[in-house]
Amino acid sequence: MASQTLSAAPPGAAPASPEKGPTAGGRAGAPARPAPGAGRTRRFGRLLLTPALLGWVLIGVVPLLFIVANSFFESTLGKPLRRWAGLENYQEALGDPDAVAALWRTAAYALGVTAASVALGVVLALAVYSAWRRPGALRTVLLVPLFIPPVVVGVLFKQVFNPEGGLLAVLAKAVGLPAPGVLSSADSALFGVAAADVWEWTPLVFLLVLAALLTVDRSVLEAARLDGAHGPSLFSGVLWPAIAAAVASAALIRLVLAFKVFDLVSVMTSGGPGQSTTVASYLIHRVALREFDLGRASVLTLALAVLVTLITLPFIALNSRASRLEEEEGA
Amino acid sequence: MSTPIQATPGAAPTGAAPAHEPAANASAAALTEAAPDSAHSLATPGAAPTEATPALEPAGHAPAPLGPGPRGGGAPARRRAVVRGSRPAGSRPSVLGRVLSLVGLIGALVPPLYLLSVSLMGRDETVAGVLTPATPRWENYGAVLGDSDLPLAVGVSVLVAVLAGLLSLAGGLAAAWSIARLRVVSERWVGVLLSPWLLPPVVAVVPLFLLLRLSGLLNSIPGLVLVYALVNLPVVLWLLLSFVAKVPQELIEAARLDGAGEWRILASIGLPLLAPALVAVGLIVGLQNYHEFLLATFLTQGPESRTAPVVLSLFYGDRIPHVGRIAAAGVITALPPVLAALLLQRRLVSGLTHGASR
Repeated sequence: MASQTLSAAPPGAAPASPEKGPTAGGRAGAPARPAPGAGRTRRFGRLLLTPALLGWVLIGVVPLLFIVANSFFESTLGKPLRRWAGLENYQEALGDPDAVAALWRTAAYALGVTAASVALGVVLALAVYSAWRRPGALRTVLLVPLFIPPVVVGVLFKQVFNPEGGLLAVLAKAVGLPAPGVLSSADSALFGVAAADVWEWTPLVFLLVLAALLTVDRSVLEAARLDGAHGPSLFSGVLWPAIAAAVASAALIRLVLAFKVFDLVSVMTSGGPGQSTTVASYLIHRVALREFDLGRASVLTLALAVLVTLITLPFIALNSRASRLEEEEGA
Repeated sequence: MSTPIQATPGAAPTGAAPAHEPAANASAAALTEAAPDSAHSLATPGAAPTEATPALEPAGHAPAPLGPGPRGGGAPARRRAVVRGSRPAGSRPSVLGRVLSLVGLIGALVPPLYLLSVSLMGRDETVAGVLTPATPRWENYGAVLGDSDLPLAVGVSVLVAVLAGLLSLAGGLAAAWSIARLRVVSERWVGVLLSPWLLPPVVAVVPLFLLLRLSGLLNSIPGLVLVYALVNLPVVLWLLLSFVAKVPQELIEAARLDGAGEWRILASIGLPLLAPALVAVGLIVGLQNYHEFLLATFLTQGPESRTAPVVLSLFYGDRIPHVGRIAAAGVITALPPVLAALLLQRRLVSGLTHGASR
């Protein structure tokens, strides 16, 4: 609390602070504090912001403009913008049922993987919270998947799912089942990739939710218990309000990461069998760098960007709502 | 910082009908009890406005660092809260919780242990359906270390991860200081600056490929360092923002009145206070850099600039891949980030939890 009285605006106000519009940002956003040398401070502040702005232009703005431009041209990696093509690329790319299927597959994959990671992460956090007073060491061990490079995770799960002598095949044999060829069947391959993805990133959800749980004062919990709250009512009355914001932000981060999946697909299945694990990132990679068709790749990239934005926006809105609620309650 | 205090009163208004009265009392108690904690970690030793001036001498009154680590941030308050609520009779640790935790533990540990086991198997054993090798084949590791590009690639990866991480930290700290302390632009800009990170990196990969080719940095370590540094800069900004916002304004005002320049204020007040947070956030982006695969495959094609994940993925190019050897390569690839994370895990955890959930 004390920290908020020190600075003019609450530090918790985050990106979604409701009061100032983005355009008003510059001058109106700054508190009126006519100190000696305020102009110098402002110049210094602008200087400090330069690398971030430069990076934003190079990583965000330039690529987007480049892709928009290329989507209207016949382009190759060697010769971008070779010939004006109008909407040909759009017709070709979005008229291709395989490409459209890859986009939908990406959306379903991202949402599914997010739901699974969030559910497992929350359950695990609640389990650890309810069973251990000081979960420090256990928490560290549970975080290990987070530290392993995704390519290694891909190598690992490729062998786990290997029908000839992989871990799953050994376990199946032990209970008398036939060895499942998870990655070699078009019906199940995407689930195999998703399993590796969920394994790798569930610990992040677990970590964020557990941290929120640990802020709940145990005496509040005891008081609620003495008053007869238990199980579901204890959860919905005391624990859920404490972790809701953390769950929302974990879900958003998880969703963003799920859309980025490329390494697991590349190592585990190379997009196959057939097209069954060809997610958008992998398709764009193939079209741009194997088929050298930059125009079509640009259209697909734009479509992916729109898709990601549309699916992410509700999660962002949920997050700003959660953090606003928490602020109001805290104030 | 304010989270431990905010979360408790939040419990009462939102529900908990039966528990309303005692809960409210308890949270009031928590509020008053927690306040000294928060005041303690904010108002640093000798940081009262009048005494603050000597703090400009870097070593002199170095205030307690902000951020993760045993001393900083909300950690002490939080830990105490946990200890304080000593468990009264009647609330035993949940058995279901223990069972589920154990399941999670097995789920987290069995796959990496299996990878270790496979890395010591011969070619025939990896398809024989055994869980452990009859005799460990250490020669898998020998073959990978002596006879492949992987050791060099691990070196390249570590170098790139560290250099790019340092650049991201510098740029991200500067931006966070500018936004949270100097208030040059509104905090909304954090969202704007972070927006490229929300999109999959494949969006930027072809333009970056051409930009690097244009500037002659394609297939080079400096090129990859630059790209990683810029990609992760907004992540650093985002994670550091709440830490920077906690630097006491009195210290800065006092230093300003004493005529300290802005660089001096950042270097001798900001840097020491933020050092633990910088370590935590630096570790997070360092891991991200080391793990990165998509940009690395595009932007580094030659053996002298390939990173470890790229070289590892090429092991499958053999006509009959040797799974044991690939697993050994995987273990070697995973070793540096896993060791770094385990060594600094406490910092890492608080950097993630304080930075990412505000």
